[in-house]
Amino acid sequence: MTLYHFGNCLALVYIPYHLTYKYSGLSEYGAFWKCIQAGGIYILTQLCKMLILATFFPTSDSTVHGAIDTVGEALKATVDVADVFGLYLVLSGIPGKGHAKLLTAGLGWAGAEAVLTRFLLLWVGARGAEFDWKYMQKSLESNISLVQHITTGTLVWLWTRHDLKKSLVPIVSTMLLLAAYRTFIIDLLLSSDICTWTVLSIKAGYTLCLAVPTLKIYAGIAASIGIF
Amino acid sequence: MHQFELHGVSRGCKAASVNLEVRSISSWRTQRHCVISHISNMTSVSLHKMAENTGALLIVLPKSFATASSKEREVLSDIEVHALSSEIDIPIYFALWTPNIEKILKDIDGGSSPDKGSSAWDAMVHSFSSNGYQIVINANKPYPKNDAMITSVQGKLPGLGVEEKLPTIVIVTHYDSLGVAPDLSHGADSNGSGVIALLEIIRIFSHLYSNKRSHAPVNLVFLLAGGGKYNFQGSKKWLEDQLDVTDATLLQDVHFVLCLDTIGNDDIYMHVSKPPKEGSNLFELNKSLSSVRKSEVNVVHKKINLADEILAWEHERYSIRRLPSATLSSMKNHKDPLRATVADVADTINPATLARNIEDIATALARYIYNISGSSQALSSHMTVDEEVVKTWLEFLCSHARAAPLLSDKNNPLVKSLVDTMNRFLSDVKTSTLVADKRDPDFVFYDSSQATCHIYNVKPALFDLFLTVLITAYLAVVYQLIQNMPYIYEFMVPSIKKLKAQ
Repeated sequence: MTLYHFGNCLALVYIPYHLTYKYSGLSEYGAFWKCIQAGGIYILTQLCKMLILATFFPTSDSTVHGAIDTVGEALKATVDVADVFGLYLVLSGIPGKGHAKLLTAGLGWAGAEAVLTRFLLLWVGARGAEFDWKYMQKSLESNISLVQHITTGTLVWLWTRHDLKKSLVPIVSTMLLLAAYRTFIIDLLLSSDICTWTVLSIKAGYTLCLAVPTLKIYAGIAASIGIF
Repeated sequence: MHQFELHGVSRGCKAASVNLEVRSISSWRTQRHCVISHISNMTSVSLHKMAENTGALLIVLPKSFATASSKEREVLSDIEVHALSSEIDIPIYFALWTPNIEKILKDIDGGSSPDKGSSAWDAMVHSFSSNGYQIVINANKPYPKNDAMITSVQGKLPGLGVEEKLPTIVIVTHYDSLGVAPDLSHGADSNGSGVIALLEIIRIFSHLYSNKRSHAPVNLVFLLAGGGKYNFQGSKKWLEDQLDVTDATLLQDVHFVLCLDTIGNDDIYMHVSKPPKEGSNLFELNKSLSSVRKSEVNVVHKKINLADEILAWEHERYSIRRLPSATLSSMKNHKDPLRATVADVADTINPATLARNIEDIATALARYIYNISGSSQALSSHMTVDEEVVKTWLEFLCSHARAAPLLSDKNNPLVKSLVDTMNRFLSDVKTSTLVADKRDPDFVFYDSSQATCHIYNVKPALFDLFLTVLITAYLAVVYQLIQNMPYIYEFMVPSIKKLKAQ
């Protein structure tokens, strides 16, 4: 396995990011630095989240008795709303218009996550002699989270727009909540002993279900205010 | 696996580190394979063949020794005898059964190489998808322990009267165990049972001796000897200490030396080097033991083979020094494989039988000491050996692997607790340690008796290439998707008509 396998996994994680950056027009805007900024805000947000988690949610032995403490987990998942706030910060901080702004925010955010959470895991795990599908799955998962973060960014942007149609506001809000609580909802739906490939495909499906309507709504509003 | 030298002869295997491909017992080919096999699939013949031609060997022991089939036991003892009697070049490891290992065993058995595969396609698919295993055992090269010592513990119950003028009875047992893997040799019967018997006899007689009316005019000396599996080094050293000094008083008037070795089974035999004459002390003891057990205790006579450096029984050490001595054992033959096996664990012993045997021996000793010949049970109230106590001791002794190399460091906790127990009941408890001679050692112990084994699930290199192809295909799809994003977007944008309607 070793280094070659590590290379395989790395390619699977990072090349989609690169492709997104390169071919979605971001490179023409020279948005690289903005992506880095978004990543920085991601790091800050995560630090804040960790602080909050450590302060208000001391390690509870929620899984000791076999049953998962649903309320506690839900409260913990509420902290993930901080992600939404962080994305809002990114969106308000980055100058720019239209697609590029959203893409930059989502890409920077997801990119930072991919670098921070996946690289070390792969470096330690995938280089070992042991072969495990786990690393392939993790790599694919980070591809999904790229789409997920861009979607969430778009939803946040939509939510802050005042010229959003009144009838769409509840839909956007619901979807935003669904996006923020994504990890929690998926964990709740699936018990831990399901095949990991199923989990992965369910995550992909969930993300796709959020992404397509978001794109539809976004396309509508973008057309109406004249971004092309 | 165990490695040691005894009288300059090396036994066991030398190498330690392993980093090889795993194969099953039927599919190994070269020196670059490590064979993993369950014990029931092995024979001593195949062991020898593999010892010459493979890189390493990992033998999986049965799930539980108590429920192991007789075939497994046979094979195990066969392998142990073979392996411990010669020097082996490849590393051999023994592993306890775990579900994980079972899975691996099944996997390598099922997925044997398709060298004669039905079609090229099958072979190709197999080479992509086959599960290989890589075994990595990181162990230090075993080095001889220079400061290895064998500890013997001696204690005494002085008789009533002037101590120096009283006759002495010596009771000896060794406490170490031997097995093909030192860390797995718990030695419940051999010789945990002897140790328990000795400790119980100590308890009973210290109780009797503390009462003035039952204080007999006989000195009792107890010896917990180390290195019993290594040609009774502990007894040898102790004898030298006692006899070769000028004012040897302890062993001046010895009635007999009684060794206890492996007494966990129903039968008890008395092993001697010289048949006891009628009227001699040992004969009397045999008589009283027979009457206690209500059946004849057979005397097994075996002459000491002076040409052989390895002695068969512990009492031979004493017989050589012209002390009347005997060994009590459940074994009829000194070559019984049960005396050196990893299968000798606590589950295989019935504490009730052991307790009864101990009780019999203690009663026989008491009858001999107090010279009671009738069938009166006067002593019986003191003589009971509680089964629970025996069980507790058995559990304690078997919770540690007691191979001599593992007990050879200073202040070993197990030895220490044995000393403490003897201190509680006996006066004058002494420990003597024996360190092997630097130039011409009688025994050499090696360190690194155990290692952690990692077995990795590996895929063939072709599989990696295959994976790369898949990933490239996937990335191409992603690329196309991003390239075509504007079209998808276009599709999503509501038509102009609709916009105007708004």
